[in-house]
Amino acid sequence: MNDGEILIEGGQENTPAEATPPGIDLNPHAQRCLQQLLRVWLGFERDLSTVPLLRRIDLGTYTVEDHLCLLRNLRQQVIEGSRWITRAASSFDRNHAEIRSTIIAHAVDEHRDYELLERDYVASGGRLEDVLGMERNIGSEALHGYLMHRSSRPNPIDLLGAMWIIEGLGEKMARSWAERIQELTGLTEDSTRFMTYHGHNDGDHMLRFYAMLDEVCIDEDAAGCIVKTSKVVARLYRLQLEEIQHGIE
Amino acid sequence: MDVYITSTGAFLPGPPITVEEVEGVLGAVNGKPSSLRVQIQKANKIQTRHYAIDTNQQTTHSNTEMAANAATQCLDRAFLAREHIGMLAVATTQGDHPAPGMASMVQAQLKLAELEILTAHGICSSSMMALKAAWNSLRLEEHEAALVVSSELASRLLKKQRYEAATQSTFAEKRIDFNTEFLRWMLSDGAGALLLQNKPAPKGVSLRIDWVRGFSHAHAFPTCMSVGSAGRVGDDRTWQDYTTYAEAETAGALLLRQDVRLLDNILRMGVDGYLRLVQEGVSKPLEVDHFLCHYSSHHFRDKILDLLDAAGVGIPEERWWTNLYTRGNTGAASLFIMIDEFLRTDEVEVKEGQKILCFVPESGRFNTTYMQLTVVNV
Repeated sequence: MNDGEILIEGGQENTPAEATPPGIDLNPHAQRCLQQLLRVWLGFERDLSTVPLLRRIDLGTYTVEDHLCLLRNLRQQVIEGSRWITRAASSFDRNHAEIRSTIIAHAVDEHRDYELLERDYVASGGRLEDVLGMERNIGSEALHGYLMHRSSRPNPIDLLGAMWIIEGLGEKMARSWAERIQELTGLTEDSTRFMTYHGHNDGDHMLRFYAMLDEVCIDEDAAGCIVKTSKVVARLYRLQLEEIQHGIE
Repeated sequence: MDVYITSTGAFLPGPPITVEEVEGVLGAVNGKPSSLRVQIQKANKIQTRHYAIDTNQQTTHSNTEMAANAATQCLDRAFLAREHIGMLAVATTQGDHPAPGMASMVQAQLKLAELEILTAHGICSSSMMALKAAWNSLRLEEHEAALVVSSELASRLLKKQRYEAATQSTFAEKRIDFNTEFLRWMLSDGAGALLLQNKPAPKGVSLRIDWVRGFSHAHAFPTCMSVGSAGRVGDDRTWQDYTTYAEAETAGALLLRQDVRLLDNILRMGVDGYLRLVQEGVSKPLEVDHFLCHYSSHHFRDKILDLLDAAGVGIPEERWWTNLYTRGNTGAASLFIMIDEFLRTDEVEVKEGQKILCFVPESGRFNTTYMQLTVVNV
């Protein structure tokens, strides 16, 4: 890759909020909530740099074995992701029909993403049975348990905070990880399709996200619970990534 | 105790150097024109800059002299006898001597007797560190006046001989080593000075310092801009760990480097810090009348604008003011050189009570610093 082009053209740089189209007008509560979510995101993104496996992407020492380990550990979360999101959809009552439709559509988009990841794993030289046989790491257990708990509650609007983090990370994988991983490991794009696929969907997903936020974040309580859930998910997601290290050890 | 900037000064060495003249001053490495220069200069949009070296790469002004020249101009414009200055704080990335601190040398050059000194060592944000220390010492009423100077002589690091001597560096190995060459076409030389006092100047414009804040993220990120290591994966040696300095130079450990892949993190952390100040109620974007933002390249201006807008804390572009395009990116000296010209330019009208937000991000290891000033017009 050409550093110069990346830096000078810089077209693919986006945080979730950068995708805010100029036309979107959020209500004041949603706007303040978005500011706080942006801070949670930026802190999460910064702290990812401290996760040993991900730091190796920054430092240029990431290996094929690291990649296999990352994919093995992500798969369970991807599978569980489609479960909590469909659970969340079913927890919205008829007064929240609009958000329910959006979440169902989102779930349809992503509920078989793990198959993409499995193909990446094999393309990277891993054995299918290894990725299929991997159990949830400690962080995945905590993240999954929390998300299933929250999504089982009536009208779990706070899960917008979870989506914010998880969607943001999907976009970050596409933006800053996929190409760099190929460059460092010599693997091809067949090994990072799960990562890049998320980037393609991101624009649409963010538009839906802003519309949902504007709809449900109509007072301070709503904003507070959305932000809190985003913080918990950010912390547990990082825990899940930190636990990957134990798989290597 | 309120503290005011009551006088400013700046010094830019030599004539303005145009885009096309830059390589003539820094020199073409091994006689070959750079293949990256045009691309990088196009992105940073800096039209003219100044160097304290001549076309034979000989130093025309030391860093200490530049700092003293800016300080002298600042003091010549001040309504204050030099004897009242109780503190001299000097910021630079690299003084003329690794030791002692540059403030000692600048003090000697200025012949300021028996005052407290402080040298702030860092990169761009070291100016803000020096300023904050001086501001605090006035707030504590230890002094009635403090002189803060920031000065940079980057061109000595960027001249062709540095690269030619690094025969076993990544620069020598790679056909194009963007990380090593990037800053060569970005940085230039200059100095700025601010006089801080415990009361406004008796006439004219003073700037009250409302607050200075900084957030460093070195705990999380790898080093992004540095001198002192060879820039190779797994090689942790720094320049003094080599058997001889000559070996360090050959290995490229004395070259200035920027890990351009990590650069966007400084913009993100910059916006994060500003959001924090907004959420704390310290800064109100709608009340910012002028925004003096140190950005190293025009390329980053739009990114900062977009990020701030997206976060709902945007500051309209017409309130931004910079002299990056004519004075160059002078690192730690940039903000003071900017403030000095801002107060003199006809491009903006500076009125009593207006708020000026200053932002100096440093990519070295991700430090972000902010300051708010209020215009006081006697």
